[in-house]
Amino acid sequence: MDITAVAATSSTRAVPRGLVPASVVLGGTLLSLIGLTWDIQWHTDVGPDTFFTMPHLFLYAGSAISGLASLLVVLLTTADTKRAKAVDPVVGGRAVNVFGRAFAAPVGYLVSGTGAALFLVYGLWDQWWHGLYGFDAVIDSPPHIGLLLSISITMVGAVMIFAVARDQRWGVRGVAASAGTLLAFSMVTVLGLRALPGGPVNTVSAGSGFFSVMILFMGAYVLNRRGGALAVGVVVAVLQAVFWWFSPWATEVYANATGLPLRDYADGIPALPNMIPMSLLLVAVAVELLRNLPAWIPGAVGGVIITALAPVQRVLVQGSNFPNAERYLATVVAGAVLGALAGMLGRRFGQMLRHLAPAKEDRHA
Amino acid sequence: MRKTSLGLLGTLALLLGLATPSLAFEPVNVVHTEKVQAGPYDLTVGFSTWPVKAMQSLDFTFAPEDGIAGKSGVLSMSWNGELVDDGPLARHPRKRDVWGLDIQALPEPGTWTFTFAIDGPAGPATGELKNLQVMEQPGPPMGLSWAISTIPLFGLIALIVIAWRRTRNTVRT
Repeated sequence: MDITAVAATSSTRAVPRGLVPASVVLGGTLLSLIGLTWDIQWHTDVGPDTFFTMPHLFLYAGSAISGLASLLVVLLTTADTKRAKAVDPVVGGRAVNVFGRAFAAPVGYLVSGTGAALFLVYGLWDQWWHGLYGFDAVIDSPPHIGLLLSISITMVGAVMIFAVARDQRWGVRGVAASAGTLLAFSMVTVLGLRALPGGPVNTVSAGSGFFSVMILFMGAYVLNRRGGALAVGVVVAVLQAVFWWFSPWATEVYANATGLPLRDYADGIPALPNMIPMSLLLVAVAVELLRNLPAWIPGAVGGVIITALAPVQRVLVQGSNFPNAERYLATVVAGAVLGALAGMLGRRFGQMLRHLAPAKEDRHA
Repeated sequence: MRKTSLGLLGTLALLLGLATPSLAFEPVNVVHTEKVQAGPYDLTVGFSTWPVKAMQSLDFTFAPEDGIAGKSGVLSMSWNGELVDDGPLARHPRKRDVWGLDIQALPEPGTWTFTFAIDGPAGPATGELKNLQVMEQPGPPMGLSWAISTIPLFGLIALIVIAWRRTRNTVRT
């Protein structure tokens, strides 16, 4: 597969080419995120589970919509290629051959569609798991992490799709929206890190710092303009604020509609929104202010901000105990090291994403 | 138009008809019980599967002989003598007349102890369910389960490595 840049063709249209399928894929990923925040809140505040709960339907619909849109784009691109029609790489990037020359798939849609297909496979793995272990509501079971990773791949595909169109306004907005969605979603996936032995380090806090900084940098360097990191940070903050209200509200409404009571002692604290670091906006501002320094420096600063303030957020929101000094310091040091690495990786990923693009390079640089 | 409406209604009815049994929440089915004496309170601990296996989730019920009205309490769960979790005794979401834990798994095999601190009309008292033996987890080893479940992550890493190598000479540093 060749995913290097190709020569640019850019055109201005009344309805920009590529906007509709890109929006559908992004909409699908947002549905997945809504389903996830609702489902986690449901299990926290109410409990009983079936295959067809409303939050589950949102999760299934999210991947189905993104997957079908991706499939459609791949089929249309394949048809155009077979008829020797020119394929506009602004729609998801350059087309690559899949299964020999059976399909020609724009690389962004290939990735988003692959994530949706994996979701189906991991859904079967999850069903088997529940048959063996029971219908536990453990978010970080191996099949659940497999499902979350599959959705994350669709979200990465969405970032790629919009990165290709970054010289257009909808592309810029889409990069911020899709990167913000991926970042918010990843704060749940990192719960899988609880399975790792971290010694005195809180692996989930350190992992949150790593992925937050990496995705923030990635978005900033794809856009490569002042305010890029802040735009991603603002999207995450908006998602956090909306879900802070939505998750407990939707859970209570759905419980009432199905005649189920809230759990005794349900505290109603928004579970997924509270996994997102509130300090992210601060990190985004730091990245903007330190953008002329080597990426590892603002990266390390970001990692420190997130890991140092995560326990403060837990104390303020949940009334948790502050960790002991050894655990706190070890986690902050891990946050600094991982943040530095994440800054460098995120910067490089952003530059790699720019190479997918047929756009006019550095128009906004 | 009429045919279309009827068709749509029929489809909707079929969908709802098929979906309804799946929407029904499973009742709590106790297959094994143990007795715990907490001072003046007789407590029956119910299990929806028996024997208990590590990581395999089940419904637990905790039923005082004369009901939960006017009583409160705290449940502490210990594994090999080490406190793992504790919290107030809450009504079971699908069996509201007793306390319980819904679809919960004990994470490790070994000897577990459930300690009940109950306060009620007859005053505070404590009782223990000792030597609850939890067997080894069923299914494949966790390492294998994690290996299967993280394939998408390694696929993503492979994609990144390919993209990294192909852009190595062109990305500005």
